[in-house]
Amino acid sequence: MAYKPPKQSFAGQIFDVITLLVLTVGALYLPLYLGLAGAAKTPAPIANPTWEALGQNATEQQQWAALGVTDPAAANDIITARFDYSFSWMALVVMAILVIGYFVLVVRLSDKEYRDVIAERFGVKKR
Amino acid sequence: MVDTKTASGQPERLQLLRVLGPAHIWALGVGIVLVGEYMGWNFAVGKGGMIAGLIACWVAGLLYTCVAMIDSEVTSTVAAAGGQYAQAKHIVGPLMAFNVGLFLVMAYTMLEAANAITIGFLLDTVAGMQGHSGLHQQPFIVLCVMFLAWLNYRGVLATLTFNLVITAIAFMAIIALFLSVQFGVSSVPLDFSAVTTDPMPYGWIGILASLHFGLWYYLGIEGTCQAAEEVRSPARSLPYGTMAGIMTLLIAATMTWYVCSGLIPWEYLGQAGTPLFDAARVTGNRGLMVLLFIGTMFSTLASANGCINDASRAWFSMGRDRYLPIWFGAVHPVYRTPYRSIIFLVPIALIFALGAPLDQVVTFSILSGLLGYTFMTFNMVMFRKKWPLDTIKRGYVHPMHPLPTIVLLILCATAYVAVFLGYGTQLIAMVSFYIIASLWFHFRRYRFVRRGDQFTMPWPRPEGY
Amino acid sequence: MDIWTILEYAAWALSALFALLMLSDMVRIDTTYDNDLLTSSREGEIEAAAERHTL
Repeated sequence: MAYKPPKQSFAGQIFDVITLLVLTVGALYLPLYLGLAGAAKTPAPIANPTWEALGQNATEQQQWAALGVTDPAAANDIITARFDYSFSWMALVVMAILVIGYFVLVVRLSDKEYRDVIAERFGVKKR
Repeated sequence: MVDTKTASGQPERLQLLRVLGPAHIWALGVGIVLVGEYMGWNFAVGKGGMIAGLIACWVAGLLYTCVAMIDSEVTSTVAAAGGQYAQAKHIVGPLMAFNVGLFLVMAYTMLEAANAITIGFLLDTVAGMQGHSGLHQQPFIVLCVMFLAWLNYRGVLATLTFNLVITAIAFMAIIALFLSVQFGVSSVPLDFSAVTTDPMPYGWIGILASLHFGLWYYLGIEGTCQAAEEVRSPARSLPYGTMAGIMTLLIAATMTWYVCSGLIPWEYLGQAGTPLFDAARVTGNRGLMVLLFIGTMFSTLASANGCINDASRAWFSMGRDRYLPIWFGAVHPVYRTPYRSIIFLVPIALIFALGAPLDQVVTFSILSGLLGYTFMTFNMVMFRKKWPLDTIKRGYVHPMHPLPTIVLLILCATAYVAVFLGYGTQLIAMVSFYIIASLWFHFRRYRFVRRGDQFTMPWPRPEGY
Repeated sequence: MDIWTILEYAAWALSALFALLMLSDMVRIDTTYDNDLLTSSREGEIEAAAERHTL
């Protein structure tokens, strides 16, 4: 006996789309509003910058000039900025569990649904 | 043009139009991705130095070669709009398919938004160079999205032929820059001294971190499968177009790294907005500058164009199966495009293009892509297990199974850690979003779906079920 | 009022035009054709006729 889905009303269809949209926009904007998003570089400018002190050789100085930067002081922040890669192992483990758990959840629930699909398409397994 | 198929006794059916050839597939795949060479990849250099940029380029290249091989085999067999979505539906199950459909729509819509933002930024830069400061970027962002949506609305053949032309020009621009620099057009010589004097400014962790943006060189190549229902002979064209695409990109990516790293100090390159255009500026050659400006514009447009195409196909397929309201599963009777899905996704893209910062939008896109690649690994294993090679005819069989799968899984795991290093919070927010959406689908939405109808391929019963 | 300001207005106007073209066409199609016909597309239908996936 094939499963007969109920017919969804127009209002129901709109409601479902809105639910999905709210979830999507929420997932993107929530980290932004909580100020938890992204990783920026921190510059560590040196005193009395010269091209040599900033480790730029003659050719590189020419390249900076071609890009419109002739004063080493202007390049000071760009050259000395570095990322901070320190992280907590705890957070890494949480992430790993979350990602693996997510895939396990999805595959298991999918398999349950998949058996129905196959049973309906090919008939109940004959032995 | 209205040639609705009327098989004897059957009611009239509207289908998408089968008009595309392998060249269009190449244009769809490379068109979406090539923009990654014009902007974005260079953050990998910033994350770990010049060498890290090259390693990321090749490691990500390996990851995507695996993706292309696996995808070619499955798609040449499951030829349906929605690509990986239809694959998941037949091989793993409905909930996985719903998730994959969301990955696709999110990855492409976000990438489209990122492209629109870039076009606004580029025009602002040019206006600034001509002495007009404070250009309003919004009208250009909106126009870009509207025009391309309209093009997509009007028919797939024109859309992808347009993509073929502008992608080819953007690709030629990279080659022209490479050759000109090789033959000494540049007024400033190439300099790779940073490779020896400052090879790894962050050590090995920098190389790991750079992989996050290394993905950008190729992100979206898997979009070729979205066109499966519109290709004349999918079993042949899809593997051919996809493989040609990944080869094109490997060449373009390596040339891009070489020219940019040689011409631009790595500290600058690591934060540049438009690296190839900057490299052309360093050469001091006006012709190259104009050429690379056009290349940047075209690659961005091609990418947004392909993204609209792919995202709407995925959304359409989900509507057709009632994973989403059936209203979206409509085909335009004249143009034969999923017109309602195309229109619906326009405001969504605009919300993100006008409201969110570029790096956030792109990270969202990369993460959705990454989740999709992870899915491909176990999908491939299950495909071979449920339908061994001698049970169904495949258009293409990839060699050395399961080696590509294992490599892909290892690289995906590495990429998660790389993303985690910069954007851990987003990763967690994103996965939480997919978990909630999954539960919503399983417990609420799935009751509107017809069970047996979801399996549409003329295959035998899967083994073990 | 330099060239860029004019371009901004032109971009707005063109955006509105494309949006209008799409929306009006959608309304026209939706009112002309039966919704059951529009949503009659089925996955893999041509495939089933064209190739049989058997060895």
